[in-house]
Amino acid sequence: MIQLTALTKRYGDKTAVDDLTLLVRPGVVTGFLGPNGAGKSTTMRMILGLDLPTSGTATINGRAHHELPHPLRTIGSMLDARAAHPRRTAYKHLLYQAQTNAIPATRVDEVLDLVGLTEVAGKPAGSFSMGMTQRLGIAAALLGDPPVLVLDEPVNGLDPEGVRWIRALMRGLAAEGRTVLISSHLMSEMAMTADRLVVIGKGRLIAEGEIGDFTAAGSAVAVRTPESGVFARLLELAGAHVRPGPDDELLVTGMEAADVGRLAAAEGVTLFELSVRHASLEETFMELTRDAAEYGAAR
Amino acid sequence: MIATGVLKAEWTKFSSIRATMVLSLAVVAASGFFGWTFANMAAHEYATASAQERLDFLPLDQVMRGMLLVQLLISALGVLVATSEYGSGTLGPSLAAVGRRSRLVIAKAGMTALVALPVSVAGIGLMFVTSQVTLAAQGAPYLMPGDPDALLALLLGPVVFTLLALFGLALGLLLRGTAAAVNVSSTFLLMPVLAPIFPDFLSRLLTTYWPNGAGFRAVTSRSDLPPVLSFGLLVGFVAVMHIAAFTRFARRDA
Repeated sequence: MIQLTALTKRYGDKTAVDDLTLLVRPGVVTGFLGPNGAGKSTTMRMILGLDLPTSGTATINGRAHHELPHPLRTIGSMLDARAAHPRRTAYKHLLYQAQTNAIPATRVDEVLDLVGLTEVAGKPAGSFSMGMTQRLGIAAALLGDPPVLVLDEPVNGLDPEGVRWIRALMRGLAAEGRTVLISSHLMSEMAMTADRLVVIGKGRLIAEGEIGDFTAAGSAVAVRTPESGVFARLLELAGAHVRPGPDDELLVTGMEAADVGRLAAAEGVTLFELSVRHASLEETFMELTRDAAEYGAAR
Repeated sequence: MIATGVLKAEWTKFSSIRATMVLSLAVVAASGFFGWTFANMAAHEYATASAQERLDFLPLDQVMRGMLLVQLLISALGVLVATSEYGSGTLGPSLAAVGRRSRLVIAKAGMTALVALPVSVAGIGLMFVTSQVTLAAQGAPYLMPGDPDALLALLLGPVVFTLLALFGLALGLLLRGTAAAVNVSSTFLLMPVLAPIFPDFLSRLLTTYWPNGAGFRAVTSRSDLPPVLSFGLLVGFVAVMHIAAFTRFARRDA
């Protein structure tokens, strides 16, 4: 479990993380989403004690990172997979981290095997492809068999097979009761991996909930009618929210499709089309973070 | 308290990249080489010296001057213990693994001392042997290791070198880049070497009180100050540098 309480980080007059309060629960994969520059990495760095909060706290299973006697056995992390000395072998890269936490060298072999790098264990990390580097980063995160995992953009640079592998790994780890927090700036990726979503923008919490809540929030009833002006007013009088969609259709929110149909029948309005539109997570995400995107293209 | 696991990890880091291992060997090799060259020069001077000059000949002072050059390498060794992490971005993973920052700094200081000391013992020992053998071979006066002056150099010299490696480590932690830290360290350490070009009072000040100058003076027992005070000056200076480096390291975003 990761608990953030009023976590804030300022660099000069720029606020990277703004009063973030959040509970990341065990047993599920939590996706940490936000546009570039939203404060995801800074938040993760504060959880791991790399950046020091301006105010507020971050605890892992009730303790701050610097209070953990053997941090790797409580929280495994991968913030930047390239953070390995290019001349050091993969094995030594993992061995030194294991030694800091009194983790036996046999565990290094285990995690190398787990991520499929056994054959290249003696090769310098600088000679690795992006996918192999990413796997090495994952191996380091798993060294201490930790109950909590924090991974920044874990699927970056992986080939499709690698992406499938890591999704299965994350889900498996969560199913074992671990807390898994993974960040991404791609909603579609999260939709495939995460059970819960936390969306931040400009350092602030924008939305939080189950994946399903996000798709439901984005869905609408699409209506096409020759009397769209009249019907829109009728819908609004009945308490629905109406906005114009493409091809002269009306997008209705706040009312079930069945009730829209009943209203049309009762008022004698001709309908050409009545259907439920599920917005993709991507659209919901764009909608949620539009105002919070740090660098938006001109619209 | 040094956590032994963290110390072991520091050794793994140190010994698994080439630069640090090569630099350690370079300290020893350069020491031997400078002992030989400076002794050749000294022996040549001795051969052409007057009777009075021959009486004043000091078989240790001139030939151990190589220490003033080798000190740059040993300090760079300390620098690398810190900056190889900054350079490759491994400080993040290292801190995430170790947790409390003081543990990492203490382990780095401990590992630096444990490596620099034997390397310095080997380097200065080799410098002594090559220089005295060269002097003897060319008929100049030489010292045996049991001579009090020789003993002082052989025992205290490595301690001074180790302190300079720790000085390098502190600079590496403060400046976070190999180039910057090595430049600052080299400039700082060469000040006493440049002393002769400065006006007299400044020159005296530099050789007597400048931390590494004081340290070397203590080794050669040529100081205006009692050796304990000269040596203490260096120890105190390195301690202050470490307090500064640690205070900064503990409060800075990694």
